Amino acid sequence: MATLATALEQIVGAAHLLTRPPSLLVYRSDGLPGHRAIPSLAVFPGTRGEVVRVVRVLAEAGAPFVARGAGTGLSGGALADGIVLLGLHRLKGILAIDPDARTATVEPGVVNATLSKSVAPLGLHYAPDPSSQSACTIGGNIAENAGGPHCLKYGVTLDHVVRATVVLPDGEVMALDRGEGTGYDLLGAFVGSEGCFGVVLDVTVRLAPIPEGVITLLADFTSVRAAADATSRIIAAGILPGALELMDHATIEAVESSVYAAGYPRDAAAVLLAEVDGAVAGLDADAEAIERLCCEAGAREVRVARDAVERARLWQGRKKAFGAMGRVAPHLVVQDAVVPRTKLADLLEEIHAIGMRHDVRVCNVFHAGDGNLHPNIPYDADDPAESARVAEAMSEIMHRCIAVGGTITGEHGVGLDKLDYMPALFGADTLDAMCTLRDVFDPDRRANPGKVVPVRSCREWLAAPSARTH
Amino acid sequence: MTQRSLTPPTAPCALPGSPLEAARAGLDSCVHCGFCLPACPTYLALEDENDSPRGRLLLMGALLDGTVAPDDPTVGQHLDRCLGCRGCETACPSGVPYGQLLEATRATVAAYRPLPIIGRLLLWGFSREWVLRPALVAARLVRDLGVARVLARVLPARFAMPFAMLASTARPTRARAGTPGTRAASAQTGTTNMGDRGTASLLTGCVMEGIFTEVNRATERTLARNGWTMCETQGQRCCGALHAHAGDLDGARALARANIAAFETSGAETIVLNSAGCGAMCKEYGHLLADDLAWADRAARFAARVRDVSELLAAVGPAAAGGSATATSHEALTPVAYDAPCHLQHAQRIVDPPLAVLRAASQIRLVPLADSDQCCGSAGIFNLIQPDVATRVLSPKLARIAESGAQVIATGNPGCLMQIGGGLVLAGSEVAARHPVELLDEGYEREGIRR
Repeated sequence: MATLATALEQIVGAAHLLTRPPSLLVYRSDGLPGHRAIPSLAVFPGTRGEVVRVVRVLAEAGAPFVARGAGTGLSGGALADGIVLLGLHRLKGILAIDPDARTATVEPGVVNATLSKSVAPLGLHYAPDPSSQSACTIGGNIAENAGGPHCLKYGVTLDHVVRATVVLPDGEVMALDRGEGTGYDLLGAFVGSEGCFGVVLDVTVRLAPIPEGVITLLADFTSVRAAADATSRIIAAGILPGALELMDHATIEAVESSVYAAGYPRDAAAVLLAEVDGAVAGLDADAEAIERLCCEAGAREVRVARDAVERARLWQGRKKAFGAMGRVAPHLVVQDAVVPRTKLADLLEEIHAIGMRHDVRVCNVFHAGDGNLHPNIPYDADDPAESARVAEAMSEIMHRCIAVGGTITGEHGVGLDKLDYMPALFGADTLDAMCTLRDVFDPDRRANPGKVVPVRSCREWLAAPSARTH
Repeated sequence: MTQRSLTPPTAPCALPGSPLEAARAGLDSCVHCGFCLPACPTYLALEDENDSPRGRLLLMGALLDGTVAPDDPTVGQHLDRCLGCRGCETACPSGVPYGQLLEATRATVAAYRPLPIIGRLLLWGFSREWVLRPALVAARLVRDLGVARVLARVLPARFAMPFAMLASTARPTRARAGTPGTRAASAQTGTTNMGDRGTASLLTGCVMEGIFTEVNRATERTLARNGWTMCETQGQRCCGALHAHAGDLDGARALARANIAAFETSGAETIVLNSAGCGAMCKEYGHLLADDLAWADRAARFAARVRDVSELLAAVGPAAAGGSATATSHEALTPVAYDAPCHLQHAQRIVDPPLAVLRAASQIRLVPLADSDQCCGSAGIFNLIQPDVATRVLSPKLARIAESGAQVIATGNPGCLMQIGGGLVLAGSEVAARHPVELLDEGYEREGIRR
């Protein structure tokens, strides 16, 4: 390890290499601190050239590593357990903006919201807007194929990536594109590979015009079922909102107590935050239809944001809801399951019942429009009995989601957190096929080992070189 | 070894009875979401999460559970490097009381890792009138004789900054320019009948009165012009903010008690400050002395009377200076950009009032300053004990100022005025750093001349 550290220090300089345990401690978690693993060392290259050199040194040493952006992920995906942590947050360059082609080429450490801010003067924005967009990086977004409220209409990260230059775990630099009809879509395979296929050096993303008109509505419901029902009615009516988000009472309380208080009705059982955007023509009709459908589903009131300031406030509340849960209890688990939208209302009632049965408090804040649930359970991890109840409740919720035909992640990734659910979702053959695909990019399985595909369930895995060393 | 979900350790407290243990509940609010990262000037400059709010909170927790030792030099360095700007507090959805946790941590580790000698010397001096007053007189002399400006030019950068900071505080000589001691008369000069807003007394502060004397007089004139009856308060001291931020909570408490006693006898309803850092401290006297039975209530009453000057003025809508602005073309007005002091926007959550003050000054026009909500790197005595980090934080600020086209940067805190002012002097820039109230006062003065 000492020689590896020396070689890495020569590349990045002493200030950007951490080797002492007290300095490595803060890198033990991502945005889901229930999972902890301390890296053996952390290296923070400052240029793309340095990244390539670092990866080559790691390859020569046969050292496994984990790439990390801002560490805002919610699946324990960027944890390095006694291996090298490769931080990419220093690569903050916006390399090129092409307003005609509506693309931007950026380094992986660029913060999602910073990209939108930089291209706003051109009337453009980067559409995928994960709730952590003020802090999360584009590189991390690529790794997780990140979503966000507005992905209902605009699509997830993959739909916005044009090209990427990546360095494979063996040190080879490759340009990937979408195939465009010639050959396989290797970039499509890379996006969402959770750091297991290699490291992004730069990526060209699509920029979307800032919509000509935006109308944001807040509908106030006295039952969660009514809010879920309204969601189904809106989609069934053929309206495609920019975003359609549901927050329940517990979430509203947490947000309204925070610096991001948005003016949500504190006595509501649930609110639906709906936004329609695009050409001004026809927008009012869509907004009126949403208002009518919400009222038919039983909304007490539907409010329309008067101006950009109120709209921003309504969205800030939604996007910071996860963080605001810290007010409810010292620790927090969050899940990320996608279910058929038509099952939402029933499932939310079941989730509530599961919470009651295990005596835990489930807060729901999620992308209702695409059925992407985020049950949050705030709890006190210092209470072992409560912790056990939380674990059981979460597992039960996830298995219910799978049982109704859902899946275990919409946008957070599998990482470490959802490994155990993978065999419930996929058969051994499918898991084996995933391992085989991984081998194409990383035959030594040194990039983010132990994540995404559970080792024990993958037959071929046991024959892999890194499995033998463990 | 990966620790699977939901089972963090429940280690006993490694620092029983420490200020950090007392503040422990605040740590529990952090859910590690990372939304504080882009709001942290040292994370942006140093690019290591150890120098971020989330990282420092984790280190505080590690100090408490004994994972790291309180004298660990690496951890100490990361805590030392925090500016205490509290930019993370206004980004934090969970409401982590970061400023209080930082002060408690610094007070806790101070026993194991004392401040550098320069820091201790400064705090020692600020606690003693007989040191502070002559030192400030000497500083004024060094400035007014032009020595500071010369030294700023000839010394190597590392040593030039303190002199550049001092040189930047020079104000053009004015007919009624105040010197300490001519206050009441000065305050009455501009009084007009604006109705009775009640009585107010300025907590004059040490650096504000010693170095920014003219800003204090301008504050008093401006408040008088807007209807307040100004009165003086004898026996007041340094507010103790520098001490509290550096972990010397006892030093801060002693100064707080002196100020509370002094303002109890002043008769003024409102205690007004024009220094964002001092104002934030004074508003937190209640917290500072919460465990002192004899003083807790008095401290809370004092804190409830404290207002920033911009807060007072904006609440009543400051009288516009001069109705003749229409005679001048918009372009001919001095372009002024506002830079928000951290202890005004984050600690006191005062965002718009300084802009209302500036809008009332008719001789200027406001121009936008990108990233005006980012810290300048001043942070009390931080720029003197962590000059390298302070300079790295300042450098993007100077770049944004140059891009803004402003001729004047307005900011309501002595540390920021000197940090930005000093940086501008060293950069050879013609841009000046001024207090918003000074600019409004100048507007009123022009109005007087025109009449």
